[in-house]
Amino acid sequence: MSETNKDFKPTDWHSDEMNARIKRRYRKEKTFKAFGLGAVVVAALFLVMLIGKIASDGFFGFFQTSIELDIPFEQSVLGNPREMSPEAFQEQVKRANMLRLIDAAMKEHFPEITNRRERRDLIRMVSTGARGQLRDMILANPTLVGTTKRVSLLASDDIDQLHKGKIDKNEPEANRKVKDKELGWYNKLEEEGRVTLHFHSTFLTHGDSRDPEMAGIWGATVGSALTLVVTLLIAFPIGVLAAIYLEEFAPKNRLTDLIEININNLAAVPSIVFGLLGLAVFLGVMHLPRSAPLVGGLTLALMTLPTIIIASRASIKAVPPSIRDAARGLGASPMQVVFHHVVPLAMPGILTGTIIGMAQALGETAPLLMIGMVAFIVDIPGSVTDAATALPVQIFLWADSPERAFVEKTSAAILVLLTFLIAMNGLAIWLRQKFERHW
Amino acid sequence: MTDTKIAKMTAKDVHVFYGDNHAVKGISLDLHQDEVTALIGPSGCGKSTFLRCLNRMNDTVATCRVEGKITLDNEDIYDPSIDVVQLRARVGMVFQKPNPFPKSIYDNVAYGPRIHGLAQSRTDLDEIVTVSLEKAGLWNEVKDRLDSPGTALSGGQQQRLCIARAIAVNPEVILMDEPCSALDPIATAKVEALIDELKGRYAIAIVTHSMQQAARVSQKTAFFHMGDLVEHGDTTDIFTSPKEERTRDYITGRFG
Repeated sequence: MSETNKDFKPTDWHSDEMNARIKRRYRKEKTFKAFGLGAVVVAALFLVMLIGKIASDGFFGFFQTSIELDIPFEQSVLGNPREMSPEAFQEQVKRANMLRLIDAAMKEHFPEITNRRERRDLIRMVSTGARGQLRDMILANPTLVGTTKRVSLLASDDIDQLHKGKIDKNEPEANRKVKDKELGWYNKLEEEGRVTLHFHSTFLTHGDSRDPEMAGIWGATVGSALTLVVTLLIAFPIGVLAAIYLEEFAPKNRLTDLIEININNLAAVPSIVFGLLGLAVFLGVMHLPRSAPLVGGLTLALMTLPTIIIASRASIKAVPPSIRDAARGLGASPMQVVFHHVVPLAMPGILTGTIIGMAQALGETAPLLMIGMVAFIVDIPGSVTDAATALPVQIFLWADSPERAFVEKTSAAILVLLTFLIAMNGLAIWLRQKFERHW
Repeated sequence: MTDTKIAKMTAKDVHVFYGDNHAVKGISLDLHQDEVTALIGPSGCGKSTFLRCLNRMNDTVATCRVEGKITLDNEDIYDPSIDVVQLRARVGMVFQKPNPFPKSIYDNVAYGPRIHGLAQSRTDLDEIVTVSLEKAGLWNEVKDRLDSPGTALSGGQQQRLCIARAIAVNPEVILMDEPCSALDPIATAKVEALIDELKGRYAIAIVTHSMQQAARVSQKTAFFHMGDLVEHGDTTDIFTSPKEERTRDYITGRFG
């Protein structure tokens, strides 16, 4: 059989050279494993540091300092609900200057302070939001009028920061936001046990505000949710249908190659470019409402489409051809092949791609800045055409605010955003397992 | 070769091209009811390609071009008026690798009847599924677990499930592309016995690499080589007194 007489030299498996080679191979393998483990550890460390820092900063964002004052609900300010019609009473309460009630309470505590200016500073220890707090209390319970009651009022952001220990009392007065005078008042109230720290539900239920103690994340959360709904409704069907068409029906030629290359390129386009496109087309040409989740959703849908198309195509391609053959061999039409067999099997992959795209859209800020979702909006958006902002934009806005108390609000908002993200990923994992089928 | 019976399927001078590659060169062959025709030959000889022309599975290959005439009951299956979806229901196919759908055993068999609207009611469908599984010799093994996935069966059972699935749409011709090449000898024997039983009702064409299998299950044998149909006739004649040198060399194991 052999065509040559040459033979291999016998191999000496125990030569020194061979032993050294084996040692070298094992050493390389060990080094590689060590590097791999090192990479994982470094990544985990950074993650822990990042989350730890945000969590420790943001934790206090969910809490708020209050000052308890004995508020006299004076008839002279509020009117007498027993002598007026309910409507007239409400009207008077709405117009009444609640600061006078707070001022009166403060006078009880600090009778020694008579200076007009100092009295004003005293009132400023309480948040401007306290006025609304009192108004709501009285409207809910008119019988309070004429009585004096101990009420827990929101402290101003500076007092809040002081109470949380974020303001250093030992710093020279000139560098400190809370002056010595205010510090004295604070200490007095504190000693009387009137300064309390408690969970602050306003942060989770209200919209944005100029005052950190009144600012909430709910408006941005709803804005983000509405935006994502629009994005999903637009990007998912279009993306999946485009992927199915390109993968299963489109002829393979120059044109489809060109489309494929362009979709891949589109996935790499910086997101702000999509923002400019949204600004030019949706606002400039189509005159859709500015700052609206509708426009934000459309813009983010454009940005997400390539991700969904690429992921969907990959998972459609991964469906074994034998399944297509089997269905075709039974006389299934091309559409039946696709919708009865290929798409159900590709679904886990399609959903994973979609959720990755949606998570990307959730964290996107730049395109939303271009279409005006960066505006200061206090109201909770009720529909996709209302002005709204989104979570990452809210974080950006707060991070930019000068007030010290917004630092912890920023971190707290990041925690809310991360929770949103984890919830979405959890949903993705659940859906994937639900649709997963083995063959 | 003298055919007294009328052919179920007839191929006349069929050429197949994949781009520039001339894969099948002018093949004429008849398939008859009540008969198993074995297509044998070395790898790459065009027998599978030819088989896939008979139910137009090659249509899905973009570069594939078919010339010549193939008829089913004297109708040209490449005529534009022929609906390829219906053609594939009439000419069923079993593949080399068992490929049940990742669905229940019941749904695997019921899929064809469902898409072609062959059952009027749930009872009808149950009947079709039962009969198909019985004909495929699988009923006794799976009757208690019709809801379990078809992919959980053993390889041989999966292949018989695929045969049951093909039978369920009531085809006239069944094409089998090396149906036993992924099976062990025991499963192979079961499938072969099944083919033997089925030949009374369908015209069957089977591509096989095993000469013994061709000899065991077929009545007619066609030997392909390099895209040519070298010789075809009664299986006993081909295996005992081949007329062509190449046929003799192949069946005696001298090449291929």
